[in-house]
Amino acid sequence: MRRRWPTVIARTSVERVLAERGGLLVALGFYIVVVAVLAGLWRVAAAANGGSIAGYTAVALTWYIATSEASTVALNIRLIDDIGNDIGSGAVAVELLRPAPVLGVRVAAELGHALPRLAACGVAGAAVATISGGAPPRPAALLLAAPSLVLAVACNIVAQHAFAASAFWLRNAGSAWFLYQKLVFVLGGMLIPLEALPDWLGSVAAVLPFRSMSYAPARLASGHIEPLLLLEQVGWLAVLLLAASVAFSAGERRLQVVGG
Amino acid sequence: MRGLLATMRNSLAEAGANRLALGSQMAVMAINDIVWAVFWVLFFDRVGTIRGWDADRILLLLAVITSAGGITLGLLANARRVGSMAVEGELDAVLSLPVAPLAYLLLRRVEPTNLGDIAFGLTLFVLAGSPTVGRAAIFVAVVAAAATLMTGFLVLTGSLAFFVGRSEGGELGFHAILLLGSYPVDVFAGVARVMLYTVVPAAFVSSVPARLIDSFDIGQAAVLAAVSVAFAFAGWATFTVGLRRYTSGAVWTRA
Repeated sequence: MRRRWPTVIARTSVERVLAERGGLLVALGFYIVVVAVLAGLWRVAAAANGGSIAGYTAVALTWYIATSEASTVALNIRLIDDIGNDIGSGAVAVELLRPAPVLGVRVAAELGHALPRLAACGVAGAAVATISGGAPPRPAALLLAAPSLVLAVACNIVAQHAFAASAFWLRNAGSAWFLYQKLVFVLGGMLIPLEALPDWLGSVAAVLPFRSMSYAPARLASGHIEPLLLLEQVGWLAVLLLAASVAFSAGERRLQVVGG
Repeated sequence: MRGLLATMRNSLAEAGANRLALGSQMAVMAINDIVWAVFWVLFFDRVGTIRGWDADRILLLLAVITSAGGITLGLLANARRVGSMAVEGELDAVLSLPVAPLAYLLLRRVEPTNLGDIAFGLTLFVLAGSPTVGRAAIFVAVVAAAATLMTGFLVLTGSLAFFVGRSEGGELGFHAILLLGSYPVDVFAGVARVMLYTVVPAAFVSSVPARLIDSFDIGQAAVLAAVSVAFAFAGWATFTVGLRRYTSGAVWTRA
């Protein structure tokens, strides 16, 4: 049976990650340390504030952080920079020769790269959260959090491609990855639940796509059964895919004019 | 010594050759640090005081760790790369020079991005650290001690690559000390807290220095100085012994 190219590319990336176990272990070690520290901080804060903050108990906050961190640690942290370098150096021109869209191939490869790490972080995060915080507040919510995590990673990867496409015009994505990352950290709810933000900042975060990349799965895993968050993620994924496609199509035409 | 000074001048000149790039890279790192400051302000605005830490004190901690981190990762940028250079066999160029290998290696490369940390840390101390002559003097001293400790720790964990043949330990050490140092040590308890004073001495690169600026204690200052010297010596010794096991990768780099 003939396999489709996205599956082949994603599977190749998965096999590559599994072959490089050292990198996977470092990422996992980093993730466990981050979750232990940040969740510990929030638990101490909850204890000092009568047991809960912004509607989250200490246990809920632990599961929130374990999930929000998993959605970002699973990704290549400098993806925007890497894409920008490939575009700026003209290396991406070679990819135009393939009988498949550049964006599609890259997104499939990154998804394949992220999924094993996401799975590893998911398992480790559940263990760390259970040991340090307690059992999940509502186990049924985890059934929604699992697909939400995959959607969060997909949204993030596609959005990073949309951002990095600026390199077609600027020649590199410079340090845009740094700024993008910080938007996910705060407005995406990775470090702090959006309900704990000041009202005005929470309103800004509510209309931006970053919350679909971290907050959505974390909110679900912290015991809030809100299936609409999944729909919201699907909607943002469609919008981001469209934006990235338009940016890459326009950029590729420009790259051909420049000559790669 | 003249050779090392010339190396440092050369590294700084290299980093400053493109002023526009230097400025933009420093600005990006400063923005990154500002986001952390915003996070802490939002956090303490929401939760109040935790175990003696409030927004003012955490900003002091942030000023210390960004300044010290900026010195280590900006001015002594190769401190972070010792492990990967050892594993990849990229030290040939260093070994052929008539200077102390580790000192040359540390001074050889300046990372412009992390110079933004120094600028941010100093600015934050001026704006939020209630600076007086006394506090400023303590700030300078504890930042120097923290930077020495951090450099020693990174060289130590990176040099383990000479013995185990992999550089992941050094990377993990780098992330661990920076990450754990970004949080007040009093948040931790039990074994984790003991580790932050010993195995990963993150407490000594941020919380202890910040505490010293707020309420100076000669005993704690002496401990900080002693731990800094101990880690600097341990880093140097591990690198020196490890260098005997170094295998060339036949890669000629500028190190």
